[in-house]
Amino acid sequence: MSYEVKNVNGAAIVALTGDVDLQTSPQVRQKLLESLEQYKRIVVDLSGVTYIESSGVASLVEAFQVSRKKGSAFSLANVSSAAMRVLSLARLDKVFTIHPSVEAALAQG
Amino acid sequence: MQVQAKTQSGDTPEADTKPQGEERDHLLLIAEMTREFAAANDYKAVAHTTLERITKYMSAEAASLFLLSDSGDTLVCVACYGPVDITGLSIPAATGVVGRSVISRKGLLVRDVSQDRDFGAAVDAKTGFTTRSLLVAPLAIGKECLGAIEIINRTTGDGLFSDEDMMLLETLARAAALAINNFRLTHKIVQQERDRHELELAAEIQRDLLPQASTRDFPIHGINIPARSVSGDFFDIITLPDGRIWFNVADVSGKGMNAALLMAKTSSLFRCLAKSAENPGQLLSAINNELCETNSHGMFVTMVGGLFDPAIGMVRLANAGHEPPLLFDARTERFTAVPADAPPLGIAPDIAGADGFPVREIYLAGGTLYVFTDGLTEATTFGGGMLGIDGVRALIRDHADQSPDLRLKNIAGAVKLPGQSLRDDLTLLVAEDMAIAPMGAKPPAGSLDTPADEQILRIRVPGRADRLKLIRAATEQAAKFVDAPEAWSFDLKMAVDEACQNIVRHAYKNSAEAGDIVIDFRRRGGLLEVDIMDFAETVDPETIRPRDITEVRPGGLGVHLIKSVCDEAKFLPPPPGVGNLFKLTKRLPPKVQ
Repeated sequence: MSYEVKNVNGAAIVALTGDVDLQTSPQVRQKLLESLEQYKRIVVDLSGVTYIESSGVASLVEAFQVSRKKGSAFSLANVSSAAMRVLSLARLDKVFTIHPSVEAALAQG
Repeated sequence: MQVQAKTQSGDTPEADTKPQGEERDHLLLIAEMTREFAAANDYKAVAHTTLERITKYMSAEAASLFLLSDSGDTLVCVACYGPVDITGLSIPAATGVVGRSVISRKGLLVRDVSQDRDFGAAVDAKTGFTTRSLLVAPLAIGKECLGAIEIINRTTGDGLFSDEDMMLLETLARAAALAINNFRLTHKIVQQERDRHELELAAEIQRDLLPQASTRDFPIHGINIPARSVSGDFFDIITLPDGRIWFNVADVSGKGMNAALLMAKTSSLFRCLAKSAENPGQLLSAINNELCETNSHGMFVTMVGGLFDPAIGMVRLANAGHEPPLLFDARTERFTAVPADAPPLGIAPDIAGADGFPVREIYLAGGTLYVFTDGLTEATTFGGGMLGIDGVRALIRDHADQSPDLRLKNIAGAVKLPGQSLRDDLTLLVAEDMAIAPMGAKPPAGSLDTPADEQILRIRVPGRADRLKLIRAATEQAAKFVDAPEAWSFDLKMAVDEACQNIVRHAYKNSAEAGDIVIDFRRRGGLLEVDIMDFAETVDPETIRPRDITEVRPGGLGVHLIKSVCDEAKFLPPPPGVGNLFKLTKRLPPKVQ
């Protein structure tokens, strides 16, 4: 698993790649919470996620909850089919704001 | 025919001094008209010509025929002859000279209407016609009176009607009454015959909606006996390509044609929506929403919907306000009732959340599930009382050793009294555990005859987070080995990963010196079984529950994900030396089987 944080027009684009599992999700959690400290807008790019399980999903849920408390914008973009399968099984596909692409997420404001 | 010598109005007729010729004319007219009435298919057409002839014969100005409406409170003119057409005119039944004649069933002769308190001048005012004298005869049949014929205004002589005219009209009226009555009876019989025929057709179509009789080695059998020709009950059995079986038993409120139509609609919805539903809770919720969109008249449907997996002997069941099904274990003679968790269908939309109606998982474990309608529990027994749930249990116990078909026939036969129709529609369905055949019988040959276990892969790895990737890779390889498609493999991988993750976190508590995890992949028939073992302290499975997924919070999601993608996931008693044994069962996709 690897991650990359980019600043695009003042928004943090957090791109995750590879398997997000019990071993790697603590890093994901930490990166997301850090970004939430620095940015008012976070877009998590899940296009490169080949696997994600409950602990990875839990990191996303936690970041989502923190963003709501802070009044920040938090959305997912470019969700890979593997990640979408797990999100829909967890019925979180209706909870998260999901954009078809990072561009669409940024355009949404 | 006998011509009465005395009028109904009570006047004594004069002595018979009329010439022979006129009397013969009378008789000829009566004979001819009676014959015409008797031969008529439609009395209204004959009535018109009859009124014309009689008007001319009596040198009158007009005539009309009034019939009582079905409700009996109005008299309607169905035919008339004269300068003013009053066909269709209706007057209150209890008023006027005609009304008086109908109520008293007597002929009336009113020589001067201006002197009669009953004469209703309203009709004249409406039609512009001037009535001077009236002759009215009732259309009487026994004690019944269908209406009356009236003749208005004699145009010749003194302009008055005679008692003789009265007699003639009464005779004709009697013949007309008979003809009208015959016509009505015939019409009614034809209509009844037509209704009966249509009901037979409806019943035939309805029977076609029920599934065909199951073969002997099929695990689900059903029977439906309507109380009338059409039924408000139904059941259905639908086999999926992977071997699992949808079934239902339902009861539409009410009886007769409206219940039958709602039954047809609900059974179509079940058939149609079952193809895309994941579980009975979702399916019943979808049917409920559809019914609520269009249902009216306060009708509703109680239903038990189930998805049976014969390979593991497990039924997922949702019960919408229906009679609780009974699970019976013939070895212990124990019954377990499965109560309703939701209201009937068609009452309120969206009563269930996104997950649908509550679903119960029932392991038959060698037992048999009986699903039935209240037509069985409320049926009358030979003794005269109601069968009741205890009676149903006794019948099930008494016939437990019979083949399903025979058992259904015998249980239904115990309440279907010979020569009598049932009080209510009766439907009964049984789901048998063929994996463990009841009464120690040999398992049936056929599709469920599974080949011996086939070991695919066994791995032993330290129970640590950094080994989960290896476990996922091994799981993918095991899935690949049985030619499972990618999506199927992904789901299995996730389930195994989640199960192992629980061991790493909870059983070994993320310790660097964690014990091992052993995973055994096996194929058994159309199933892939994964045994996941650890060597930690044995945990109480009751403490591990799927989270309520309507609650958005991190954690507790793993068990839900496992249950979502596996056909079965449960803790088994661990073999000696093993801490915990968690077994996943996932049905292989149809083409792989």
